[in-house]
Amino acid sequence: MLAFISRRMAAAVAMLLVIGTIIFSLLIIVPGDPAELLLSTGGGSASAEAIANLRVNMGLDKPVLTQYVTFLYNTARLDFGTSIVDNGSISSVIALRLPRTLEIIIAGTIFALLLAIPAGTAAGLRAGGKFDITASAINALLTSIPGFVLGTLFIFFFAQVLGWLPAGGYVAFATNPMQHLQMLVLPALTVGLHLATIVFRMTRASVLEMRGHDWVRTAVAKGLRRKRVVRRHILYNALGPIITVVGLQLGILLGSTVLVEFIYNWPGLSGLLVSAVEQRDYPTVRAVILTVAAIFIGINLVIDILSSLLDPRIRLQ
Amino acid sequence: MMSVRNFHKRMILPSLFLAALIIIPFAAPLITADDPVKIAVRYRLAAPDLEHWLGRDEFGRDRLARVLYGGQVSLTVAFVATTIACIIGTFFGLVGAYFRGPSEFVTSRLSDIVLCFPPILLALLVVTLFGPGSVTLVAVLSVLYFPTFARITFSEALRVTSLDFVEASRALGTPSYRIVLGTVLPNIAGPLSVQYSLTAAAAITIESGLSFLGLGVVPPAPSWGQMIRGARQFMNQDPLGIMIPCAALVLTIFAINFFCDRLRDTLDPKGASGSSMDEVSKPKAQADAPTIKDPDVVAVINKLRLETAHFGTPAVIEDVSLILRANQCTALVGESGSGKSLSSLALMGLLPGAIRQVGGTLQLRRKSDEVVDLGFLDARTLEDIRGNDIAMIFQEPMTSLNPIHKISDQMIEAITAHRPMSRSDARAHAIALLKRVGMNDAERRIDSYPDQMSGGMRQRVMIGMALSCEPRLLIADEPTTALDVTIQAEIIELLQTLRQDQGNGLSLLFISHNLGVVADIADRVAVMYSGLIVEEGPAAQILRDPHHPYTRALIESMPSSHEELNSARGDRLPAISGTPPLPSARPSGCTFRDRCPIALPACADIRPALYPSADGERAVRCLRAPEAPAGVMNHQTEAA
Amino acid sequence: MTAAPLLDVRNLKKSYSIGRSGLFSKRSLKVLHDVSFSVAPGEVLGLVGESGSGKSTIGRAILRLIDSQSDVMRFDGQDLNSISPVRMRSLRKQMQIIFQDPYASLDPRKTIRAVLSEALDAHGLHKGAARVPRLIELVTLVGLDPSFLDRRPHEFSGGQRQRIGIARALAVEPSFIVCDEAVSALDVSIQAQVLNLLADLRAKTGVSLLFISHDLSVVRYISDRVMVLYLGRVMEVGPADQVHFSPKHPYTAALVSAEPSLHRENRRIRLTGEIPSPLALPSGCIFRSRCPYAQPACAETVPPLQTVGDQHQSACLRTDIL
Ligand SMILES: Nc1ncnc2c1ncn2[C@@H]1O[C@H](COP(=O)(O)OP(=O)(O)OP(=O)(O)O)[C@@H](O)[C@H]1O
Ligand code: SF4
Ligand code: SF4
Ligand SMILES: [Mg+2]
Repeated sequence: MLAFISRRMAAAVAMLLVIGTIIFSLLIIVPGDPAELLLSTGGGSASAEAIANLRVNMGLDKPVLTQYVTFLYNTARLDFGTSIVDNGSISSVIALRLPRTLEIIIAGTIFALLLAIPAGTAAGLRAGGKFDITASAINALLTSIPGFVLGTLFIFFFAQVLGWLPAGGYVAFATNPMQHLQMLVLPALTVGLHLATIVFRMTRASVLEMRGHDWVRTAVAKGLRRKRVVRRHILYNALGPIITVVGLQLGILLGSTVLVEFIYNWPGLSGLLVSAVEQRDYPTVRAVILTVAAIFIGINLVIDILSSLLDPRIRLQ
Repeated sequence: MMSVRNFHKRMILPSLFLAALIIIPFAAPLITADDPVKIAVRYRLAAPDLEHWLGRDEFGRDRLARVLYGGQVSLTVAFVATTIACIIGTFFGLVGAYFRGPSEFVTSRLSDIVLCFPPILLALLVVTLFGPGSVTLVAVLSVLYFPTFARITFSEALRVTSLDFVEASRALGTPSYRIVLGTVLPNIAGPLSVQYSLTAAAAITIESGLSFLGLGVVPPAPSWGQMIRGARQFMNQDPLGIMIPCAALVLTIFAINFFCDRLRDTLDPKGASGSSMDEVSKPKAQADAPTIKDPDVVAVINKLRLETAHFGTPAVIEDVSLILRANQCTALVGESGSGKSLSSLALMGLLPGAIRQVGGTLQLRRKSDEVVDLGFLDARTLEDIRGNDIAMIFQEPMTSLNPIHKISDQMIEAITAHRPMSRSDARAHAIALLKRVGMNDAERRIDSYPDQMSGGMRQRVMIGMALSCEPRLLIADEPTTALDVTIQAEIIELLQTLRQDQGNGLSLLFISHNLGVVADIADRVAVMYSGLIVEEGPAAQILRDPHHPYTRALIESMPSSHEELNSARGDRLPAISGTPPLPSARPSGCTFRDRCPIALPACADIRPALYPSADGERAVRCLRAPEAPAGVMNHQTEAA
Repeated sequence: MTAAPLLDVRNLKKSYSIGRSGLFSKRSLKVLHDVSFSVAPGEVLGLVGESGSGKSTIGRAILRLIDSQSDVMRFDGQDLNSISPVRMRSLRKQMQIIFQDPYASLDPRKTIRAVLSEALDAHGLHKGAARVPRLIELVTLVGLDPSFLDRRPHEFSGGQRQRIGIARALAVEPSFIVCDEAVSALDVSIQAQVLNLLADLRAKTGVSLLFISHDLSVVRYISDRVMVLYLGRVMEVGPADQVHFSPKHPYTAALVSAEPSLHRENRRIRLTGEIPSPLALPSGCIFRSRCPYAQPACAETVPPLQTVGDQHQSACLRTDIL
């Protein structure tokens, strides 16, 4: 078990290293001078002085290998350098905003799991039945609505037409807990519904598959109560595949949070990212993306370990 | 297997729907003469009128034109990017799978890495460097998605190349490129086209999302994402403005998803039609109160008839009657599909959802001596009976145990389901059972997982588990077919000794297609052919002197019955021609008639009954058997 | 065999690398240990053994469908160990294979015509006008109707599919066919039909077969000589009837006695224990852990194949028992 975990950790670190390298080398393989490229706006190019400043700021004047080592070293210390736009420390901005993004994601994930796993199980157990047909149809429709469209429609109905919830914004929990939670509802719902469609689909398929295995027949033949058969011999087996898919989908989820935060004016990482992209603040963009990739890898590491706990075959190879 | 016509029928609706949504934007010039970028601030947010069916936007541009031309941009970006990704990805995947080696490494690792970036973030990263625009978008999306294609192609191609028919092509000496293009590619086209649709939908979502952020398609060129962005500020005054592009976007994605779902279902018929796990339909009213007079008899199957749930289909089991006695082993033999498993599953109340019992009775004497009809019990009582009064072991020891629970847990739950017992007592009982079925070191091995055991050991576990509540009736459905001969012999021997040791007089229903095994273990034999019992009686008598031509043919076609024959000496085995009929194609009269070497014209007219012998010991379903009543085909007998 | 053998294999070895035990060292799984045999022209060599004994691996190694190592591997006078890929491809015309699973061995998308044509095209045989008569000849040869040519595999039963698989192998007129459990998936009545077909073909065309099966009585019926394999080692090899009726190796004896039979008296030889894991094979005689006659000496040396009769060899130290 320990060997398994350490192997997975090593793989995760290696993956981070590769991703860091790729992001770093993007700047190198860009044709022309990256500093010039970043400062160019439309047709006009920036002053030579500004370009030179940027080069020094980003360390572009040093040899590539030095740049690379410095980049890795700093990144490992969680020092992402300074923004080109306001020279502020990127790390501290991320530290401020990351928890807000995580809040939406965690709230959304909990919502999605609570809704989709029971629904998917019910649909899978009675595939072809009324509930399955209805739920699958709703799911198909929801799958087709991109997150930002769903968010926009939510604002339109819940904030504009019905006036139940604020259209967006952010208040710290410490300042006004009630208002904070009110503002959290729509973004979390938007992100959560999206994830729920995926979890529903996966749960249904996985339950449907597990249901057909011989060991389920054995369990029924033993005279176990139906509930126990479903819990121990169908759902428990289905859980592994479900969480693996959730882990992989979290990447897409993290992406869709960008748009959702933007729509609801939620000052998480995404606001930072979008404005950084608009202002072509490459170091900030790079830092945010590295952070997100690290979170993604971290989550999948946890999921790997979880599923190995669920399924002895993964541990025993 | 899905027929070609059926395939087309199910795809018509989604294909038309999708085609319409793709064609309409490109037919824009035929639908509206308006220019999507012409600004007329005077008419900003004008309501729909005859000339501008959908009204005008915040700059007074015609909204219909913008939706249509915007669709062109979105669709072009999405499909061009997806196509590029698909071609590159498929190429890498095929090369990786067929030639393995380093290309395999590149393919699978590359997609792992790309999967770590949320797609939209990677797109943003590139936009930061290169600035927004359609060309950038296409490039980014293709790079983003080709590893997914490579991965899917790779794993699918790997699955296909390991199939025997690809190996056969290699053995034939067909050149590699022909195998890859002519055999592997067509066989992975299904999953690939599903992935193509999925990717196209995802690409549209990303394109519109970026445009929504103002980082995608560059204004003033229209795009759906931009239209939503623009209309957002005015959604109070002008709800239509936001609804139209949203609807266009959602409809298009829905059409693609719909198409893709149908395609997936049609390509993989398994997932499409599932039957519910537990809705077993039962005959409504109970005919007669069940009675078994003879105290020796454990169960009686009388005139069992099973049909598939489809209306008007023939019976899969036409007529099966069996008496199962204590201390006796009854063997049910027959070829694949003859209905052996279904008959026994009916006794367990475990019929698959698609099969219904439409006639006959299944009586069982419970351990309490109460006699019940298994066809009329509520689910609760059935659960009490299974594992307790009747137990069952199955053919596949490899899959019959749940791989993620320990043996101990699976045995303990079987015991505590029927006996009020503490966990530790149940565990001790389970260990005792494992010792009884001949497992050394049971105390330690009870805590292993099924995957840590060999097939023979797992079958022992299954047997121990089945005996855990001392059932009166044990059903063994081909328990040794998946095992090696030496292991098979051990298991048969084990079943024999257990049967003799069991105090309460166990009745064993042993299902097999192997007459040799049956000869080893059975007291009585029932031979099935195409949903019917064709011969029944004491094992020794039937195997020595079969009266039904089918039983005789089964025995004769075994090479082990002819130890003097050898093909090197030019000998041939006495074989019967033909194959067993499907339930839907049974001949009239005797079901065995088109393979029967001694059939008479009368056999086509009369469906023989199971004629009992004079002493009542055996019965045969053949008009020409000694047991057949003299008059049954009086007018034709001379024809012989 | 005194005549020049069609196929001659000396010390065939095969190992698979599996997972890794440490961070760097790969573990390897030896599935064949120095297997040697030969097949004469027109001869049927039967290969029996339990699951995991390496039967299929031998078949595939000879056809060069998987890599393997051997001191000698000659087919029809050509050295397969040093043959060029191009020469190998044309040599495939002479060596063919029939598979176990009638459902996996045919491409569900191809008609029977396409399946058989692929075989002919691979070696440029019977082109143009000669094609159709040849296809009809082939399907008739295996007892099918020419009208079946334009159907796809799913329209056939298991026995019919197996016949198509045989027709595909015969299409290129090979002199040698590996039959890998070719009748094991079939019901007895169909199995007898296919066995008769193979016997007829062998009489008619003089083809040599390597007939792989776990079913001793089937192998005895179809083969001239039988080779018994246990965990990748040859235990016994000899004329079919002799190996079957007077086995000289304890394992063969146990195998024969375990075979369920309608007519033989039950004189079963009990084996104890399970088949050992290929990762932890016993020293000395590989069968030692289950052998009822094992002695301390059996742990010391690997018993070599010794002649015990005419063309009959057995790898057991104790010649005194059987
Ligand atoms: N779920 C099902 N839906 C429809 N038909 C079925 C189903 N299960 C079995 N059948 C049909 O019922 C008949 C009897 O099947 P059964 O499984 O009892 O045969 P069997 O004698 O056990 O064969 P085998 O030796 O292959 O196990 C067959 O014609 C089969 O096609
Ligand atoms: S009834 Fe006729 S066809 Fe049927 S088995 Fe008897 S002789 Fe053959
Ligand atoms: S060498 Fe020894 S262990 Fe091996 S088969 Fe002969 S007697 Fe048995
Ligand atoms: Mg069966």
